[in-house]
Amino acid sequence: MAKIKGRTSNRTRSLPLAAGLLLSSMLGMPLLSKPAESATLTIAQSYDPQSLWPNFSTSQEQMNVGNAIIESLLWVDPAIDKAVPILAERYEMVDPTTIKLFVRKGVKFTNGEPLDANAVVQSIKIFMDKAITPAYARDAAKIGSVERVDDNTVLIKLSQKYPAIDLLLSQIYIVPPKYWAEVGPEKFGREPVGTGPYKLKEWVRDDRVVMERNPGFWGKAPKGIDRIVWKPVPDDTARAAGLVAGEYDVAANVPVASAPQIKSRSTVSLLSVPSYRIFKIDFSNLDKDPGPQHNKLVRQAFNYAVDKDAIRESLFSGIATPLRGQILRSNQLGFDPAIKDYPFDQKKAKELLKQAGYPDGLDITFKFSSGRYAQDKEVAEAVAGMLGEVGVRVKMVTLEAGEFLTQLNNRDLGAMALRGSAPQDDPDAMLSSYLSTWRYSYINDKNLDELIKAGSQELDQKKRDDIYKAAMKLMHDEAYMIYLYQANDLYGVSKRVRNFVPRGDQRFAVYDMSVE
Amino acid sequence: MLKYVIRRLISTIPTLIAVPIICFLLTRLSGDPTELMLPMDASDEARTAFRALHGLDKPIWEQLLLFCENAFRGDFGMSLRFGEPASTLVLERLAATTELAVASLGFAVLLGIPFGVIAAQRRNSLVDRAIRNAVAVSQAIPSFYLGILMIMVFAVGLGWLPTGGRGEVSNLVLPALTLASGLVPLIARVTRSCMLDELRRDYVRTARAKGLKEYIVVWKHSLRNAFIPVITVIGLQIGALMSGVVVTETVFAWPGVGRLAIQAIYARDFPVVQAVVFFFAIVFIVVNILVDVVYALMDPRVRYQ
Repeated sequence: MAKIKGRTSNRTRSLPLAAGLLLSSMLGMPLLSKPAESATLTIAQSYDPQSLWPNFSTSQEQMNVGNAIIESLLWVDPAIDKAVPILAERYEMVDPTTIKLFVRKGVKFTNGEPLDANAVVQSIKIFMDKAITPAYARDAAKIGSVERVDDNTVLIKLSQKYPAIDLLLSQIYIVPPKYWAEVGPEKFGREPVGTGPYKLKEWVRDDRVVMERNPGFWGKAPKGIDRIVWKPVPDDTARAAGLVAGEYDVAANVPVASAPQIKSRSTVSLLSVPSYRIFKIDFSNLDKDPGPQHNKLVRQAFNYAVDKDAIRESLFSGIATPLRGQILRSNQLGFDPAIKDYPFDQKKAKELLKQAGYPDGLDITFKFSSGRYAQDKEVAEAVAGMLGEVGVRVKMVTLEAGEFLTQLNNRDLGAMALRGSAPQDDPDAMLSSYLSTWRYSYINDKNLDELIKAGSQELDQKKRDDIYKAAMKLMHDEAYMIYLYQANDLYGVSKRVRNFVPRGDQRFAVYDMSVE
Repeated sequence: MLKYVIRRLISTIPTLIAVPIICFLLTRLSGDPTELMLPMDASDEARTAFRALHGLDKPIWEQLLLFCENAFRGDFGMSLRFGEPASTLVLERLAATTELAVASLGFAVLLGIPFGVIAAQRRNSLVDRAIRNAVAVSQAIPSFYLGILMIMVFAVGLGWLPTGGRGEVSNLVLPALTLASGLVPLIARVTRSCMLDELRRDYVRTARAKGLKEYIVVWKHSLRNAFIPVITVIGLQIGALMSGVVVTETVFAWPGVGRLAIQAIYARDFPVVQAVVFFFAIVFIVVNILVDVVYALMDPRVRYQ
């Protein structure tokens, strides 16, 4: 003490120095960089879940987290691209609209309630209740009624013929009925009880969800993972940085700009997954949107005029998948390998415009969002520039993300608009938005309507495939849209993690994962 | 003094009434949250049910009346996204934001005042110019960029500090410094100019003449007199700090009110936006009153009638 007092004459100088020292000593402290414990898996996603009950919303972040605790009847496993049984051992079709479901035996919820037909029936009833699960109302509308047959068997009556049963069953999450009745959906979402491989230990809002192993889990638990910590990290670059710094084992949705940094490190790797998100520029042929886009030749000319490869290469560093002149993905039912996209051909584009009666070019309004999709504004600007080169004068209208959505839903987007669609993994989910009766469809085509309706009810896979192929051909020839690209999701994954396989809708499950 | 504070408190009532109402009307201008809350392919039935559940189907004046009635009782309604009371969501995150704000204010004062004093003391010297330049750069860098830069250097490059999150002291350093970076220049500049004024005054010459040590002249006598404008700036900047919190919390994954606010705005989660704005308004008001009180404490010449 005395010593310090004796030196006070230097205080003027030493004060900032002291501040600096304090800072640097704080910085220098070995505060962090304790390596993650080997038994803990840390996953960073963009958002904190709103609820840990997966059926609370359709946001993939919250479903990924909640799904480690609460399980569904089936899980569509992206590793094999097939549905695997989870809480349903199997199901069979009694007739085209009746499903007989066999509930897995010997499974208990972590609060001791048994998983039985009653739990499944109650959970399906919750799923069907529009007031509780409004986000699933469209799926729930496919179910007419549900009843318990015996302790392990449930009968589901569909309200219509529906081909995508696996998809439907995989969205229903099973909750313990007694506990649910006690606490209600909100509290259940905060303090969930399920049958899954993990149970909730702690949830600090916007900071972390910590789970630990469920010792009574019915299945094979993930190897080497005793704890899972879910971190919500909203900033994309910061999330990638945390992965590189070794704080996270998995970082979802890392930005293209961080890809080189991740690739350059030996401890982490970059995983690029073709996503369900399809980007295209939709034309309107509605009567309320008159204009040159009603002419098929104009629409085809626009397709020839846009250099889609250049957009993928320059705006996405090549990390995007080309569309093949159709909106279905190459591994989907109904995808037609015979269809090829319109090649980049400015001469052909000009020729078609001339044929269509626009030798001096034309004017058109183009609406797009800024900030709703990755690089949306940049893509739109590139497209407008390319159209300009063949004589199209594009009037660009940029919309804030929320306003874009409102206009989209009110069919106010007009002649042409850049849109991404990320439907569920069934061709009908994509195509039904092109039905003329759909809320925000911009296409009115009776022939297309018939094909879409037929496909949505056809139970024979081969016939269904043919129907959708015909729809793809029709849409391609009519050029109802400019086919842009299929987005890719990027994940950064620590090399000690095995079998991390995300789906194209950014969903992933922990079942087969392991940590070395 | 007490009378003055009470009078000030009473005079804030119109503000406290106006802020939530203006905020209510402004959020309503942004459009219908149903589109953002429900999936794209949700049915019309589901939309109608959602609107009814949250009272969005009622005429706007009816919604406003209901809102005022509930807000008066401290109930800001249920979050559309979380299905929980909006006020709970804000209160849950209050501690984190307060911690961050206090820490960055601490950094700002600890760095800004010494920088200002030293720059004034050595006016036009190399040190002065260095400080002025550093301060200008610090003010010019947007905080989201500075935040990422700090993460890259101190977390990824050197591995000294975590990239984000909350928990230990180490988690606090980078976000607090980032948030302080906008404040340090202002404090330093005001301190410098006020100190320059003070150092020219007679009492300083007298103090020096009677043989007082320079550091006492500068740090005790002059600084105290230069403090009033500095406190004003700090007080005013706490408002700016609150808006800085929104960006900084997002970059550093800090679980605070600012991040809740930005998520709520993007999702048009009206009740949460309203609760956050109301909370920020209260912070502004309280800080303003506190600044006035501190004036009186610091400067015996200031008396409130």
